[in-house]
Amino acid sequence: MIFSLKRFKKVVFSLTIIFLLQSCGDDNEYVDITEDNFPDLTERLYAGGKTTIFSNTSNGYSTPAPNLSGSELSRHLEGDIDFESIFVTAPANINSGLGPIFNNSSCISCHPRDGRAAHPQNIQARSGLLLRTSLPGNGSNENPITVNGFGLQIQNQAIFNFQPEAEYTVQYQEIAEKLADGTIVYLRKPIFNVTNTYIPFPENALLSPRIAPPVFGLGLLELISDTDLINSQDINDSNGDGISGKLNYVWNPLTQQTEIGKFGWKANTPNLLIQCAAAYVEDMGITNSVFPFETGHDQSNGNDHLNDDAELSDEILHNAVFYTRTLAVPAPRNINDKDVKKGAKLFADLQCATCHTPKQQTGFSEISALSFQTFYPYTDQLLHDMGEGLADNRPDFLANGREWKTRPLWGIGLTFVVNNHTHFLHDGRARNITEAILWHGGEAENAKQNFKKLSKEDREALLKFINSL
Amino acid sequence: MKNYLVKSVALAMTAFTIASCSDNDEPTVDPVETATLKEAVTNTSNNIIINTYSNLNQKAAALHTAVTQLSTSLTLENLTKAKNAWMETRVYWEQSEGFLYGPVDTEGIDPAMDTWPVDVTAMNDILNSSSPITVATLENNNEARGFHLIEFLLWGENGTKTVDQLTPRQLELLKAAAQDLHNNTQKLHNGWIASAGNFVDNFINPSPNAYPSYTVVLEEITEGLIIIADEVANGKIEDPLNSEGSTPNAELEESRFSNNSKTDFIDNMRSIQNIYLGTANGVGNGKGLSTLVAAKNPTLDAKIKNAISDAIMGLDAIPGTFSNAIFNNRNQVKAAQVKVNTLHTVLQAELKPFVVNNLK
Repeated sequence: MIFSLKRFKKVVFSLTIIFLLQSCGDDNEYVDITEDNFPDLTERLYAGGKTTIFSNTSNGYSTPAPNLSGSELSRHLEGDIDFESIFVTAPANINSGLGPIFNNSSCISCHPRDGRAAHPQNIQARSGLLLRTSLPGNGSNENPITVNGFGLQIQNQAIFNFQPEAEYTVQYQEIAEKLADGTIVYLRKPIFNVTNTYIPFPENALLSPRIAPPVFGLGLLELISDTDLINSQDINDSNGDGISGKLNYVWNPLTQQTEIGKFGWKANTPNLLIQCAAAYVEDMGITNSVFPFETGHDQSNGNDHLNDDAELSDEILHNAVFYTRTLAVPAPRNINDKDVKKGAKLFADLQCATCHTPKQQTGFSEISALSFQTFYPYTDQLLHDMGEGLADNRPDFLANGREWKTRPLWGIGLTFVVNNHTHFLHDGRARNITEAILWHGGEAENAKQNFKKLSKEDREALLKFINSL
Repeated sequence: MKNYLVKSVALAMTAFTIASCSDNDEPTVDPVETATLKEAVTNTSNNIIINTYSNLNQKAAALHTAVTQLSTSLTLENLTKAKNAWMETRVYWEQSEGFLYGPVDTEGIDPAMDTWPVDVTAMNDILNSSSPITVATLENNNEARGFHLIEFLLWGENGTKTVDQLTPRQLELLKAAAQDLHNNTQKLHNGWIASAGNFVDNFINPSPNAYPSYTVVLEEITEGLIIIADEVANGKIEDPLNSEGSTPNAELEESRFSNNSKTDFIDNMRSIQNIYLGTANGVGNGKGLSTLVAAKNPTLDAKIKNAISDAIMGLDAIPGTFSNAIFNNRNQVKAAQVKVNTLHTVLQAELKPFVVNNLK
């Protein structure tokens, strides 16, 4: 009796609120918040399907999927060693071939604890941030156009006796955002450039910063079917929600054809094999069967004149790829917490979930652990116009200078414990989740404005939900 | 074996001296019977983790001094002193590998101090160039710095380095590398202490945005132990013992120039022991995981303590050098590996669930 009375009161109360809000205009229609319509998050507990682990610690991103078979686990562990291997100057008996020009010397040094690199404190030192480059326009496969003498990526490190392509520089602009409750949030916008280039750098060349993201759960994302991806596109915004969403189509150098882009900040890479092989050659200077030439082989500063290519065995390449496919996904925490559930409701009502789509599924995989899994990455894997503030103004296949691929949000709440920072977005400019949200623009402008209108209490509930992931 | 015992006694005495000079917690001999989670975490953080880094930092400073002395006066005695200073520094580094979380990882200090393998080509290119060798040279050549570069220069690739083989350029590199190592041990210590980087606050004062509870901190601490046990058994021992199937390959051994690998492995086990017992070399009040486990499950506590001792004894029982043993005493190496794996299993399959389920 008492229970139902309370329940009744609450319904009346919420109806009153809705009425009041509606009478003030439809800006605030999302504030229909009662416990009754909080989503049940139970089904999202297994964020990685059967690859989910329950962890609150700094190993939350680095654990093998618990459902790997014995032989899969062995392979994963071999890949783990390869992912951590530090390369050295050739010739060497072990891990030979670093550089001559490179950005870093191991996979793990850019993806610390399989997680997210921080925005660099010292822009000239090695870090998990690099700059891509290209000339304006697109090539015959819609590809970015290489800059003579620099390629598509600026290697700012070199082995002894070699000169890097350039040093990086960065300057910051401060931007203030005022929230409805009067809180002012200061954002920093990093503006990157290059200096001390080994040959003159073309004035019209474009630059785009990229920070190394976490690498768990990637095998699941890779296995979302093309049909599902194609069906979720809304290129011309035919449903009129202000949000389009399109796939990138990119060149696969192995199959020699155009395929759906799935990885990279602009989805410019078709799969994890190409992603890893490109990272070996471009980031570390390790040639491999997919990319058998040193990144600077036709440059005065980048040819080691050794006949040691490919420097990486296919076994190691494939083990590293396998490793990135089979890391466990950490489960969300506190899914029954009232604020978390309220935050989940707000997340949907504010239209965050329109792009950060909670649910995805895989099809068949030869890796049985990944087959037919329902999982909760909070991404649609599509490109969206994110506005001028985030624009890099550098096209990358079909992604224009304002478009970025929706980042998955799973595991985001463990960032601090794993990586001891909370830097987000493609260049790590955001120093916390609030800043990251406030950088959203373009198709996400409405969602951002709705966020700014939230009361402090609701804002904290939303953040609590995001941090529960 | 004898040599090892002598070294342990010397270390224990050093630790005692340090402990008696500080007004931190008194060294405890009696077993502690109870501890709150907070007390266990606080003691483990301040008296084991930070104290190990403090010792490491002091020993790295001494190594820098010894190397500087060697470069001023090239004598066999000074070379021996420098080698000993390296080994003494190495003790605390290996004793810190049971807690490879926090600044050592997030500040990129591990790869700067303990990068492996040594980039011999880069090292030779640096030595053969005419530019001055400074700390900055090493910071720009991350693979040619740290413990193993210093080890390579002091012992030589075959462990047979003589004083007259040390060139002026090698001494210049040694000095820069020892200074660089000390810079990094200082950075590591600073990263943890309350008066600087204050990582310790994450452990001692749980908060929703970091470790939400002492239980989670203890889970992190336990995982650190599991990780190093796994690394010793299935990486540090397994790789050189069974490279490419079952062929040994001494080049995959971590401290092969100095023949210090066995000691490295034992100190890794001591790292586990120090954390588990909440006391190390006479420092720490004994409030640690062991106290918490013993209060609810004395059988498990005894099992873990025995597994740690067994692993140490097994490693110590490997005859001669590790480089030799992987070829000529494979069974003893395998027996030690089994004991480290047994320890790994009990930590993983019993201690971790205990921490997660019983320590609230």
